[in-house]
Order: sequence, then structure tokens, then C-alpha cells
Amino acid sequence: MELALIGVSHKTAPVEVRERLAFPSDKIRAALESLLEKTHAAEAMILSTCNRVEIVVAQGPDAQLVRDFICEYHQIPAESISEHLYSYKNADAIRHLFRVTASLDSMMLGEPQILGQVKEAYRLASAAGTIGSGLSPLLNRAFAVAKRVRSETGISNSAVSISYAAVELARKIFGDLSGKTVMIIGASKMGELAAKHLRRNGVASVLVTNRTFEKAVEIAKIFEGAAIPFEHFSDHIDRADIVISSTGAPHFIITRQLAEQVIRNRRNNPVFFIDIAVPRDVDPSVNDIDNAFVYDIDDLQQVIDSNMKERMKEAGRAEEIVDREVQAFCTRMQSREVAPTIVLVRESVEKVRREEIERHRRLLRDMPADQQAAALGAIDQITQSLMNKILHHPISQMKEMANDPDGAEFIETVRKIFNIKPQ
Amino acid sequence: MHVQLLEFALGLYSVGLLHSVLTVLRKKQTLFKPAVVATLIGFACHAASIAIRAYELQRFALAQRYESFSFFAALAVLAFLLVYWKYKIDSLGIFSFPAIFVMTFIANLAYTTQDSVPELLRSRWIYIHTPLVILGYVAFFIAFSAAVLYLFQERELKLKRVFFNRLPSLEICDDLAYRALAVGFPLMTLGILSGALWAQQVWGVQWMSDPKILLAFVTWLIYLLLIHYRLIAGWRGKKAAYLAIVGFIGVVATFSMSGLHAFQP
Repeated sequence: MELALIGVSHKTAPVEVRERLAFPSDKIRAALESLLEKTHAAEAMILSTCNRVEIVVAQGPDAQLVRDFICEYHQIPAESISEHLYSYKNADAIRHLFRVTASLDSMMLGEPQILGQVKEAYRLASAAGTIGSGLSPLLNRAFAVAKRVRSETGISNSAVSISYAAVELARKIFGDLSGKTVMIIGASKMGELAAKHLRRNGVASVLVTNRTFEKAVEIAKIFEGAAIPFEHFSDHIDRADIVISSTGAPHFIITRQLAEQVIRNRRNNPVFFIDIAVPRDVDPSVNDIDNAFVYDIDDLQQVIDSNMKERMKEAGRAEEIVDREVQAFCTRMQSREVAPTIVLVRESVEKVRREEIERHRRLLRDMPADQQAAALGAIDQITQSLMNKILHHPISQMKEMANDPDGAEFIETVRKIFNIKPQ
Repeated sequence: MHVQLLEFALGLYSVGLLHSVLTVLRKKQTLFKPAVVATLIGFACHAASIAIRAYELQRFALAQRYESFSFFAALAVLAFLLVYWKYKIDSLGIFSFPAIFVMTFIANLAYTTQDSVPELLRSRWIYIHTPLVILGYVAFFIAFSAAVLYLFQERELKLKRVFFNRLPSLEICDDLAYRALAVGFPLMTLGILSGALWAQQVWGVQWMSDPKILLAFVTWLIYLLLIHYRLIAGWRGKKAAYLAIVGFIGVVATFSMSGLHAFQP
């Protein structure tokens, strides 16, 4: 199978270019149909996310035609995007597809969404009827590879965002978060995001306090929580297992004295203070109190950095898995194609041989019948062995190339030489 | 036969020991699953060994050093497996496997072909006193392990050291330590009571001056204090963990001290 992949990603193109090349999902069906028509490929798939737009075509692909299609479809001059476009063929295209699906090419290494996005692209293409015997096994293998990478390496294991890091740390303290209470002090996007993740991970109730009470009510509504007037927050803080503070206050909101009081009131039940304010809201010395744990923005960042390093290390192992999978897939694919090609080559040469014998039979017509039979036998034998001798090397080469990553091109060349049309 | 079975069990328990050593050295969990499986099989052999011994002697064997250590180790394995099944705390193995191995190893070493039981220990009390005390020790060992895990995890969190550890959460450690204490303390109390009654029968009042018994009593007081603080003063976490460790040091000291009733053959 011949395969080509053309696209742009966050690595090659800025967002201004990517957004112009994006295919909205409701237009993909029509786009795929016109793509096949313009490029004469038999199969195609379009993957369009905010970080990448990629087009995979199989069975008779021509990268240039796909480029032309992209420009024409989006009505963009070719010069303006040519430097951003990359294109891969065959084994390289397979590798790229495997890496993308396994989240090795993602902006956030190991992020889990991309697998779902590729699956969605596959679903759309299937619905449009542009996926066949070529792309279907390839994509299914890509999904399996992504799963393998996820389960066999730690690439998606640890938190790499502030809010996930907060959840991860909270788990180290409380284990199960269900039934816990979180208090948000001050309204900030990041605080809200962290609360959202905690809520999704089982935190039962949310208390919100803010200097502007209306804002607190507004946020509390999102989490079905309770708003507390800022003046009274210290009366309620001991209900909270997790406190997320992000006010704009120039001084500490949670002093050591208050924290000591809280721990006492809670009968030493632990409290996790997440301080994402700058300047800080929580007195760092609170961390010295037994059962109180304070993480400020830098501490969280440090957790994230080292998690990221861990992911990078794991990515190396993931690449090895991908390499092996690409190799295995190419081998399987080619050996599936080599065998029928060999048969077709033999058949086409055999056909020529028979036709020629038939054509020259009349040269023997004056011979007596017994001599004629002997001569025909000899001719048959000679041509047969001639054919075998001539085909011997090409065929053994084809068998050998079945295990070579560049084998597909070689097989294609052989098919052209012997004028074998794709079935 | 029972000796071979116990030796075989020891061999299987060594996988656990290897797990602990490698995990500590490499700071990365190594061979945990094989260790659990080996320990499970080892336990089956171990239980069979005890059953065969009991069958051969026509009594439940606890009097000899070999027997009591073997029984001790078997209970420790059982406790570990139960706790692991319930809590899924991998890191508990780091403490439990070596302890199990050492106990079984001592049992193997202590074996003698001599079957005689000292006059002193030919008493029904042995079937009450010994299992109670041993069960109490096992529970305290688990409380100790959970306390150590708690302190490790707490320190990591406080120092904000970035961790890829597989340590359980603070709450689970604390919960396990508390539960183990709640199980161990009544058992130990009954164990000491039964011991006192037995000693009273054998020696009269003089048993009270036995250093081993005194130490056992002090240890018991430490645990009493811990229970008190946990219930009344709301102690938990670090302070409770420290006291649980101090208590267990008392347990080890009591156990290894020879006194009037050390397990002498």
C-alpha cells in the first residue's frame, strides 16, 4: 500500500496558519469526498485539531495533489503555507501517525486527548466511506500502539499542570478525596480550575469566599457550593480539608496563628493549603505546623517540572516501542502484498510465453506429427526454463524486500515494470 | 517432612527479602508481584508444615522455640496478606518481607530433634497466652510499619521533594496504624493478663520481678498512652506515629530479652 501524510502542526506552523487550514468537523465529509476526487486516491482521512491539521491518503496518493487540494479548499496561495507543510511517505507516514496517536508529537507530551481526536477523525472518515482495507488496519494498529505506549511507559502518569498537580498532592495526603471539602479564597481562573479538578476527583463540597461577595456567589453557583462573606471566612475555614487561596492581598490572609487555630479546631485532621497567589496568601511558616501542608505556586511548578522530566525520559522508551511497531507493521503489510505480486508476475510472463508459442505454432505445421510433438515439447521446455531463469532473481529479491522498510516502493517498481495494475 | 516444608517456605520468602533489599537499594519497586506470589505459596507450605507437626505430636505445637517462631512467622505472613488484600499498600512489603524471612529463618535454626517439652510449659495456659501475645505483636508490627511509612511520606510532603514514590497516602497510613493498634492492644492486654495468671500459678508473686515481664508491662503502658492520646487528645499523624514506633521498640526489646520464661527448650 502506498501512503502519504501531509499536514501542519504546532511544531511547524503558528496558530494563525493552523486556524486557516482547519476543517470543521461538519465539513469533513464533503472535504473528504472532494479530496478523493481531486487526488485520485482511494482512501483518505482528515485529522483536524487545534494543534494540527493532517491529511492521510492511501492507494494512489500524490502529495502534490493533496497540497493543491489544501490550497484550493481553503483558498490560500500555495506560497503562504508551503514552508509550514510537511509530508511523509509510507514508513515515515506510518511512524508519524503512530507518534501523533501515541501523543509523542503533542504540545503537552503524553496528553490523553489526542487518541480520542484521532479516533473521531477515523470515525468521520469511516462514515464518509473513505476508509478501506488500507487505512483501516493502519489506524487500528495506531490505536493499539497508543494504548501500549500508555500502559507500558509512564508518559501519561504524572500531573503536568497546576490543577492536576494539586489533585495529585491532595491524593498523597488524603488518599480518597470523596467526602472532602475545598475552600476557595479569592476569585481567579487558576483557583477555579484547580477546584474543578478536585471536584471531578471526588471532592464533595466547595466553599467560596471573596472580597466582592457577588463574585463569590457566582463561582459558588458553578460548583453548587456555598458562598461565604469574606469577613466571616475564618469561621468556616476549619471545615475545609483543602484551601485554595488566590487573592490579590498584599499581606498574608492565612497567618500562622489562624492556621494553628484551624488545626486545633479540626482535632489535627490535616489541611492542604494551595497558595497560588503572588504575593503569597499563606504564611510559609504554616508548613511547619503538624498536619498542615503548604504548597505555593513555585512548589507546584517544581512538581510539574520534575514530572515533565520524567515524561521526557519515558518518551524515549515510547519512541522505541513506536519504532518496533512501525517495523512490524511495514513487514506485515508488505508480506501481504509481496505474495500476490509474485503470483501476478509469474502469471503475466506465463501468459506471454503461451501466446508466443501459440503464435509460432504454424511454423511447425509441415512437420510430421511425431516430430511436431517432439519439437513442441522441446520449445515448451526451453521457454519454461528461460522464464524461470529470468524471473529467478527478481522474485528472490522481492521476497527479500518484504522485510525492508523501503520494500513497498520496490514492489511498486516491480509492478510497474511488469505492468501489473492494482486490483 | 514439616522441617523440609518450612525450609521450602523460607526459600520462597527469600523472594520477598530480595524485593525489599532491591527496592531500597534501587529506590524503585522491584520484584513486588513475584514476591507476593512466592509468599502466598510459601504460606501454604508453612501452614502445611505447622499442621503436619501438630498431627505428628497430636497436639498444637507451641512449646518449643522452633514451633513458636514458626507460628509467629505464619501469623505475620497471614496478617501481611490480609492487610495487602484490604489496603493494597505495596510498600508495606518492604518491612514485612524481611521480618517474615527472619522469623522463619530463626524457626529453622532453632529446630532440634528433641521433642521433650520443659515441665514449665506443659500447661493449658500456653495455648491461650502464646497466641494472644503473638497476635498482639503482629498487629503492633503492622502499626509500626504504617507509622514509619507515614513519617516517610509526611517528610516528603513537607520538604516538597518531588516524589515518584509509591507510598500510600497519609490518611491511609494513619488509618492502618490506628486500626492495627485497636486490634493489637486488646489482644496484648489479654495476653499479658493470661500470662500473669499463669505465672501466678507457677511461681506465685515473685513473677512480678521478672525483667521481661516488667518490660512487657512498660510496653503495654506506652500503647495505653498512645490509645489515650489518640482518643482523648485527638493525636494523629506524626506524634502518634512516633509513639507507635517507641512502643514497637519496647516490643522488640521484650521479645528478645531472656527472662524467667524465655522460650527455652
